[in-house]
Amino acid sequence: MSDTSPILELRNVDAAYGKVKSLHGISIRVAPGEVVALIGANGAGKSTTLRAISGLLAPTAGDIQFEGRSIAGRRPDLIVRGGIAHCPEERHVWPDLTVQENLHLGAYLCRDKGEVAKREEMVLQRFPRLRERAKQAAGTLSGGEQQMLAIGRALMSAPKLLLLDEPSLGLSPVITMEVLSVIRDLRDQGITIVLVEQNVHNALSVASRAYVLSTGRVVAEDSGAALLNNAEVLRAYLSG
Amino acid sequence: MDLFLQLLANGLVIGTFYALSALGLTLVFGLMRIVNFAHGELYVIGGLLGWSLTDQLGLNFFLALAIVVFALAVIGYLIDRFMMSRVRGQGEEPTILLTIGLSIFITNTALLIVGTAPLKVVSPFANKPLFLGPVVLTQSRLMLVVICIAIILGAHLLIQKTSIGRAMRATFQDAMAAQLAGIRTAHIYGFTFALGAALAGAAGMLLGSIYVAQATIGGLVSLKAFVVVILGGMGSFAGAIAGGLILGVAEALWGGYVATGYVDAIGFALVIVMLLLRPYGLFGKHNERA
Ligand SMILES: Nc1ncnc2c1ncn2[C@@H]1O[C@H](COP(=O)(O)OP(=O)(O)OP(=O)(O)O)[C@@H](O)[C@H]1O
Ligand SMILES: [Mg+2]
Repeated sequence: MSDTSPILELRNVDAAYGKVKSLHGISIRVAPGEVVALIGANGAGKSTTLRAISGLLAPTAGDIQFEGRSIAGRRPDLIVRGGIAHCPEERHVWPDLTVQENLHLGAYLCRDKGEVAKREEMVLQRFPRLRERAKQAAGTLSGGEQQMLAIGRALMSAPKLLLLDEPSLGLSPVITMEVLSVIRDLRDQGITIVLVEQNVHNALSVASRAYVLSTGRVVAEDSGAALLNNAEVLRAYLSG
Repeated sequence: MDLFLQLLANGLVIGTFYALSALGLTLVFGLMRIVNFAHGELYVIGGLLGWSLTDQLGLNFFLALAIVVFALAVIGYLIDRFMMSRVRGQGEEPTILLTIGLSIFITNTALLIVGTAPLKVVSPFANKPLFLGPVVLTQSRLMLVVICIAIILGAHLLIQKTSIGRAMRATFQDAMAAQLAGIRTAHIYGFTFALGAALAGAAGMLLGSIYVAQATIGGLVSLKAFVVVILGGMGSFAGAIAGGLILGVAEALWGGYVATGYVDAIGFALVIVMLLLRPYGLFGKHNERA
């Protein structure tokens, strides 16, 4: 990682669901414009880490800094306002709302109608299939289209930092490639991305660095190439 | 034939009143999955408040209506914020017990303050008969129908067309996704309950001007509202309107042609038939949302 000051930094973050502690002292640094992957077996704490960043789950200890200010434990709407969008695992589009309503709600905090229309146009250019289905209920979309919608909705808040939780989950290889190329585009546009992926090769094909999580701890951190060469680490922590 | 038309007109008028009276109940159920047994008591508060504002204080009817709507919205918001929010996500039983307790509390508080006397909201509309072909309606009823339709339409537009309405639907379909979009879901829950309460209160005041407002009628109002909502489909907006009209017309025809005695039983007969034939109601789906 370069020497520039990080846009996002987690310092010894603990988080718990009720009494069950799921994160034990997670520390992560992400530089502006970087794509960083979080990898690890099921239950390692990848999604929980993202939830702590986006405010769905307040950390019980440690600190989370975004652009140099602490955001740990803040309300999710304030965190979205600050420029972080979280595209959750399993998409969570609103099934009975139309594609267009889903997108517009992504810009819920933006009161400027012209700005919303501009962002919508950008998203629709990126995902032309969503334009064709604008008036359709989101629940009737295919899995791949729903993933595009979920990413598009997250982009509607014009984030500086995008948290993507397993965007290729359940998608065919072709659609997965499409999602990965979208992520590369976003990176080239300057959006910082934290990407959670089960598939290490996919993750490392877009990320410059990765953190390997296991049972709520960071157990390895390295550049993508180094991690791929270190097959031992991967086997130990990813087999589940 | 003339008798039939007259009865039909009476039924449609009362049906519109039923529709408005039930709308808050179906909305709160459809969006929040809360079966609000205190719905009728919120209607009672609206009626009694409307009476005290128009009769005791002599305020203008529409100003009083605006105050009633606002006051009930505040009450509804507070009920959600301080009571319903504590049992959110714990299944249906706690909310049912909570709203039943609330209904008992409201009824007895109202009794303590105004007693059992039937009270009348002062209306600016005359009881002058209007002749529409063979049908006679009073001016006051016709005006009330117009106001009811305006309120129902307003609620529909609020939910379907505004940003807050979209946020409401989003929150109840997927609260986590709503939070991630920056929607403050706690406010949305409170706002939705407030809307249901405001609709109940408006109905209570409006109908208190042609019938009466009374501390003890909450139970009956809730019962009728449940009939309407079950006929139309729990949670369905269109269903509440259809259910209200069906109930109104059925009662009017039964009262006109058969016997006036059992009018209140008609609704329950209809409900039983509906539950046997179409358990989710006319417009209901298994997973209906308003
Ligand atoms: N809502 C919840 N309530 C209680 N425990 C939870 C909840 N969500 C996750 N956990 C627990 O927290 C731990 C971390 O879960 P998390 O979802 O963060 O894992 P993950 O790395 O995202 O896994 P996956 O790859 O399966 O998505 C697990 O032990 C899980 O059982
Ligand atoms: Mg996960």
